[in-house]
This record gives sequence, C-alpha cells and structure tokens, in this order.
Amino acid sequence: MIVRGIAALALAAVLYAGFRPVGPVPPLGPLLDPANGAWAGAASTTFRGVQSLSIPGLTKPVRVVFDDRGVPHIFADTELDAYRALGFVVARDRLFQMEAQTRAASGRLSEWAGKRVLEADREARSLGLAWAAERKLAAYDTTTFGYRALVAYAGGVNAWITSMRPRDLPIEYRLLNARPIAWEPLHSLYFLSRMSMTLGLNDATMKRLRAQSIVGAAAADALFPLNSPIQEPIQPNGLGGPRFDFSELPPPGAGDKSVASALRLQEKLLATLARGGRTDGGDALGSNNWAVSPSRSSTGNALLAGDPHLELSLPSVWYEMHIVVPGKLDVAGVGFPGMPGIAIGFNRDVAWTFTNTGSDVSDYYAETVDDSASPTSYKLDGSYRPLDKRTEVYRDAGGSIIATDTVYYTHRGPMQKVDGSWLSMRWTAYEPSTEPDNFLALAATRSVDQWLDAMRSYVVPTQNGLVADRDGNIAIRSSGMYPVRPGDGRGDVVRDGSSSASDWTGQLQVERYPFARNPVQGFIASANQQPVDPAQNSAYMGSDWYSPWRAMRIASLLRSSPKVTPNDMRKFQTDPGSARAQAFVPLFLAAGAREDSAGRGSEALREAARLLAEWDKRYVVDNRRAALFEAAMVELGRRTWDELAVATDTAGIPSIRLPEAQTLLRLAQYGESVWWDDRKTPARENRDAIFAASLVAGHAKLVKDKGPATSDAWLWSKNRHANIHHLLRIPAFSSLRIPLQGGPSTLNPSGGSGTSGASWRMVVELGPEIRAWGVYPGGQSGAPASSRYRDRLPRWTMGQLDPILFPRKPEDIDRKRVISTLTLSSRSR
Amino acid sequence: MSSFVKYLLLAEGFAVTTYGLGWWSVPIVAALWSFFSTDAHRVRNAGIAAAAGWASLLLLDVWRGPVSTMADQLGALMGLPPFLLYALTLIFPALLAWSAGIIARRPVRPPAASAHSASS
Repeated sequence: MIVRGIAALALAAVLYAGFRPVGPVPPLGPLLDPANGAWAGAASTTFRGVQSLSIPGLTKPVRVVFDDRGVPHIFADTELDAYRALGFVVARDRLFQMEAQTRAASGRLSEWAGKRVLEADREARSLGLAWAAERKLAAYDTTTFGYRALVAYAGGVNAWITSMRPRDLPIEYRLLNARPIAWEPLHSLYFLSRMSMTLGLNDATMKRLRAQSIVGAAAADALFPLNSPIQEPIQPNGLGGPRFDFSELPPPGAGDKSVASALRLQEKLLATLARGGRTDGGDALGSNNWAVSPSRSSTGNALLAGDPHLELSLPSVWYEMHIVVPGKLDVAGVGFPGMPGIAIGFNRDVAWTFTNTGSDVSDYYAETVDDSASPTSYKLDGSYRPLDKRTEVYRDAGGSIIATDTVYYTHRGPMQKVDGSWLSMRWTAYEPSTEPDNFLALAATRSVDQWLDAMRSYVVPTQNGLVADRDGNIAIRSSGMYPVRPGDGRGDVVRDGSSSASDWTGQLQVERYPFARNPVQGFIASANQQPVDPAQNSAYMGSDWYSPWRAMRIASLLRSSPKVTPNDMRKFQTDPGSARAQAFVPLFLAAGAREDSAGRGSEALREAARLLAEWDKRYVVDNRRAALFEAAMVELGRRTWDELAVATDTAGIPSIRLPEAQTLLRLAQYGESVWWDDRKTPARENRDAIFAASLVAGHAKLVKDKGPATSDAWLWSKNRHANIHHLLRIPAFSSLRIPLQGGPSTLNPSGGSGTSGASWRMVVELGPEIRAWGVYPGGQSGAPASSRYRDRLPRWTMGQLDPILFPRKPEDIDRKRVISTLTLSSRSR
Repeated sequence: MSSFVKYLLLAEGFAVTTYGLGWWSVPIVAALWSFFSTDAHRVRNAGIAAAAGWASLLLLDVWRGPVSTMADQLGALMGLPPFLLYALTLIFPALLAWSAGIIARRPVRPPAASAHSASS
C-alpha cells in the first residue's frame, strides 16, 4: 500500500508538471514530448524536398520555390492567390513574431505574460494604437484591392495555423504555454499602428518644453531649433555642399515653470517611446538611402541603395520574398511579417526604399473638462461636448481581469491626465488611411512617375521615398500627411484645447512636399536630415532634426566618386568615416594647443591630444582612438550643457536629450559664449577650456575604466556592439555583443545599447536586367534552433551583401539553389 | 515470444501512442500493460520501455533536425546543462510509466490459490 501511495503521489506530481507550468518552467509534457514537442519542433524547422498542401480560398494552384537563402519565390495566377500563399509561408516561418507584434500594438501582451508587461499594455492603449487601427479598419473601403489583400493574407495565415501539427508550434508558444490566435486583417493594421509609433511619434515638442522650463523659451528655441544649423537637405539646394547657419546662441534665461504638466507627459511618452525603440542611441535608429543617375554610375545605369535602420530583433523585422503573377506582378524585396506585400524592393523596372522623415505630425492640447476626476465632457468654443469613453480591460494568461482603465477621447484623440491636467493628443496615425493599398500599388509601378503617383495618398509614418527606374530616372519625395496648423504653424507647442481655432486647418498639398527628381548633381541622398533648406521653403515640417552628419558623409562620398559602382554603394553602407569626427577632432586639438601655449596646459592634456591626433577619424573595429574621441564627446556634452541639469529617470533614460552635436558645433564658433561657463566652478570657462578639460577627462576616464592606451580594451570592437535581442529577450535566442564597423553618426551608426541599426541593406542596379543584392541581420526562419534563424548575421556584420535571385519563372532557378518546393492548391471549406 | 521482443514492442507502443495521441498516453499504456501483464518485472520494465520508446523518437528528431541546438538553447534558458534535458526527456516518461504501472498492477498469485479464494 505504501509503495502504491508513493506511486500515486509521484504520478500526480509528474502529471501536474506535465500539464501545468511550475514557476518559470513551462509544462514539461508538451515541451519534452519527442513526437510533438520542442525536439520535434526543432526537426520541423528544416524544410526539405517537395511538398503539396491544400489551403482554402485559392482559385488556382500556387507554386512556392524556396532558394538556398530561405527566400520564397511565389508563382501564382492571381495577386490575391499570391498574397494568400504569402500569408501561409510567412506564418510558417514567423508566426510567433507576427502575433507578438500585434499584441504589442493592441496592448494585449499581458494575456501572455501577466502583470510583468501590464504597464507596456497600458501605454499602448492609452496612446490609442488599437483604437486607431480599429477606426482605420472601420473606415476602410472593403472593395479596394488593399482590403481584399489583407483578407487573403489573413486567410493564408489561418490556413497555416489550422494545418499546423502540434510539433510545428513555435517554441515561444510552448514557453509561454500559449496557443496562436486566429489572424484577422485588423492585426495587420495593429502592426502599422505600432510602426507609426516607432517612426512617426516625434517627441521634439516635449524635449523643447523641458529645456524651456530650465533656460527659458528663447534659449530652448536655439538649443532645439526649428531648422538645422547645418543644411545638407534631401531636396538639393544647389550649393554643392553643406550650408552653415552658425548665428550666436542667446544666453540661458530664467526657466519657464508653466509647462510642468506637459513635462510629466513627456516623461511618460519618452518611456513609451524607449520601449518602442524610438529613443535609443542618438541616430542609431536613423536610416540612409541614396541613388545615383546614370551619368555618375560606372555602368551607365541608375543605382539605388536602401539602408533602413530600425530596432534590431531576432527574428528580424523583415522577411524577404519574391512574388510573380504573370503579366501583373514581378516584385522582390522585403516586407513586414504580418503585412501583405513588399515595403522595400524592386520589380523589373523600378526600385525603391525609404528613410524616416521624422517630421512633426502630432500635437498636444490642454483640455478643460467638466469633472477632473471623472470627466464626461470637454469644453470647446464655449460649450461642453461629450467625451468618448473606451473601457480597456487587461487580462492575464488565465483570462482573469488584472486591471481596467477608462480612456477618454476628444475629437482630436486620446486624453491623458498629467499632474491633474488633461492633455489630448492629435496625431496623423489617428486619421483614416490606406497604407496597405499604397504599399501594394508600388509593386506594380513601371516608372518613377507611376511610383510617385502611387504614394500620393500615403499618410503615416512620413517617409522619404526614394525611387529609381530603368530609364535612368531617380527621385525622392518626403511622403505622408503634414498637418497645417493655425497661427505661426508651429507644432512644437501645447495648444489651447478649448478652442477649435487651435485645430489643424488642413494638410500640406503633395506638390509642396520635399521633392527632387533627376537633380543636376546626379545623386539624391537622405539620412533623416531636415528635408528642405528653409532658405528655399520655410513651411513648418518639424524641429530638432537629426544632425546631418550622415547626409554630409554620403554627399561627400558621392561627390568624390564620379563613376560609382554597385560595389561602391555596398561599401558606403558601412563606411567608417565620420563627418562629426571631421568637425570635432580639429576643435579638440586646436583648443588643447591654445591652452598649452597659453600656459594652461598639462602633461595629461598633451598626452590626450597626442593620442587623439593619432586617430584617422575612422571607426574600424581594430582602432584604439575612436573610444577616446567618444569619451571626450560625452564629457563635452555634459560640461557644455550643464545649464540643463540633466536628470535621469529610474530606468536610466535621460529625461531630456541633449542638444544635437550640430548645435554644439554652432556654439563652438563663439569661444566666449556664456554657455561655455561651467556653473559648478568659480572660474569663467571659455570654449578652449571646456574642450581641453573634456579631452583630459575623457582620457582619464578611459584609462581608469580600461587601462592604458595600448590596452585591447580601447579597441573599438570592445567598446561598441550590436545587441540583437530575441523578441522575448531570451539571451539564448539572441545575438549579443557583435562588434561592428561604424560609430555614432557614421553611415552604419552605433550608439546607446546597440539595439538599433541597419535592418536591411540593399543595392539595386537598374540595367536592362535588374541586379540586386541585400542582407539583413538574422535569417528567414523565426525558429531559434533553425539553421536559417541567424544565418545572414556574419555577412551583415562584415558589410557584405548576398546576390538576390530574381527568376521570371520557377525553371529559371538553378536546381542546386532550390532547397524546397511547395505546391499549394485549393481546398473546399 | 521472448521478453526482449515483447518489451521492444512495448517500447514502440509507447512511441506510437505518444506520436498519435500525445505524451499523456504514456501512463495509460503503462497502466494497461501493468494490469494485464503477468511478468514479475512488468512495472520496472514498463518504465524502461517508455524511456526507450521516447529515446527512439528522440533519435528520429536528431536525425531530422537541429536538436542539439535546441538543447543548447533550452538548457541556457533553464540554466541546465543540455545533457540534463536529454536525460529529463527519458526520465519523464519512465516516471510516468512506473508510477502508473504500480497503481494499476494486480497481485500475481498461483492460479489454484486464486480459484480457491474465489470460491470460498
């Protein structure tokens, strides 16, 4: 009896551990089961041979050929069949990622992970990301091709979900003890909402207000200026080089404390944006693109380079594909898992890519409500209008309610209560729009002009769309909805919500968007810089633009290359040169020399200057001097902007970003400006003193932290890395501490935590036959155990690109390069 | 039929039912086996057969895909050496089968004594 009792207890315990999670350990049964669990799942990550499957909804069979890079070449008779098949194959490779992204946008991560992620869910819902997506879907014309493609794509995803064997369940679901949800067209729009937040929610307003609260409005305007003091605009200004507008900064004034509630909102917003990958590492989230005309190309064909930078993740944010529908579509490139179609790529005639415009497309309004504790209406033009209410319910994995919020909406958008005041936000991402139609239409365009037409109605996020065609045309337009504001037109202020006169009065006409087509200089380049020189067009489009160091570097490389080759384009993408270092290193050295000759030098200063002078201003992995320059730049920022008294929040996120380095360079033209004075010392410092002290302090800190200058710890490869986390931030599924060529403000920028960077590099030559090359950091499979999970990472790290196969029909693919063939045919429901 | 062949078939029975029904079929098969079998070591051997059945499935997985990579990753995730996960994959069905077998086994008695007992 005793043995039997022990056995009963053991059986109960083992069954419990088999069915239920124990602490962080997922249920062991489905995990360890070698026929249907994780082991079998590892085996099913490898697709081989020839497969035939049936999925509902296809009108004709679709053939999918996977090449040896894991790229599906989809051959279908109709476009909707192609997108249905695409949904199937993308879900097969990336199902967990698709659902994770859509949950992040809709604020439903807590249904997986409970209270640990509740705050992220609350932020997503308070920003109205799900609300906006649902509004867009409700307003979507269901007869459009875009809508029908979303439905077909969802059908393909669901066909995979329903046909999945237990062993095919991605490992992440096993670890979370979760099952996939059915895919809906709405989920694709959730993803777009999330991308709009990452790329289109500009925090410049709050950043400037923070400075205003400390040094007054005039100084804040100068520190975070509407216009870049260095102009190398996307729309060429005809100067053949950068234009410098280095007027003197006004001195710091008295702080303006009237903006307190807006600042609290800033802190919330910055925390949200940091989670969305928006604020990491300066311009590491910045993107590059450029195109050269046939006149500057070694082959006489237009060339185009795309290099969008985003938050890096495993699996990659991109999925590579090729879709062929005879007579209608023949397009290759990358798209987002969860969205039908190709966002960046090329067809037989046209190639295109994007960088983020970074324009100001959101505004804040101080609202007056009837009851601050539980408002029902808000004041507008002397009377009260009812607020829309949306009850947000948050559940845990077991379905229990863990929190409930009420989010209030004015006609502008969601309201948030901050320090007792209510602020509403209007944002172009809340407007009805049809981005899926825009992106899908690009695939079928045959010329630059057709492509530009297809982007006319595009709304959000604003993008610098660069396009080139086989006729040798190149063009760029900063597309998207730019609101027109009343009064001075500026968007970097908090407006009075009680008056409709504060509302947007319209939107900029497409003809006034920043634009260039076949410019005389023979190339076009964008790198998130201010798109138009305000001397040519002063319309407000945003403020506090990224310093144009990358744009200057691209322009410099292209101007010095009369005949650019595709390989040059590739090499430029990871070019280690830096316009920022070119600007600042001489300033450090000159300041050091002047201080020394004036008798204020020291052995430490001379040693630091000697070491810095050895640097060739290139961020290559085996260099030992770039680290010194960066340490000195950090000290320079701290010492110069001590007036801003930068605080750091509990998460380590600076509650204000320091002014851009271009503002520092502007200040450096005025050696005796009061901004140079370090208020913590009794002396009155000037520029040279601060530069010299920063160099010495940077050097001292480096020696203290890393040893002498000969130490390997000074190697750039030991100082900056790419850190590519798995979506669940599981280290074993991540690739961390990857040494990279490139530094802050280089074309391959690295910064901060290293979690942002080049998400897809592409070069296209638009000759009689298109030739293209590309790579992204990761691999086509979303299964961490798969050999295709991160197989492209080594080549991405080295700055190499893969030739992209672009066959017209299945038989054109070299058999040796085919790893699997899948035939999908219709099945009655 | 020799004991070896019998237990080999039992092992593959565990494998087949796991493949077709799922991991939870292991204690059911073990209980049925233990209930109907008259072997003296039927419970112990059921545990061994369950482990062997799962080992055969695991070998199939190893042949078909990157199981060692998965073991490395899961081991790192759980803070366990990978070999322990393999071991756990064999111990888990063995424990299920053994404990279910103990509970389900009937006492094995000589037929005569059994008949006498039934008639009294």
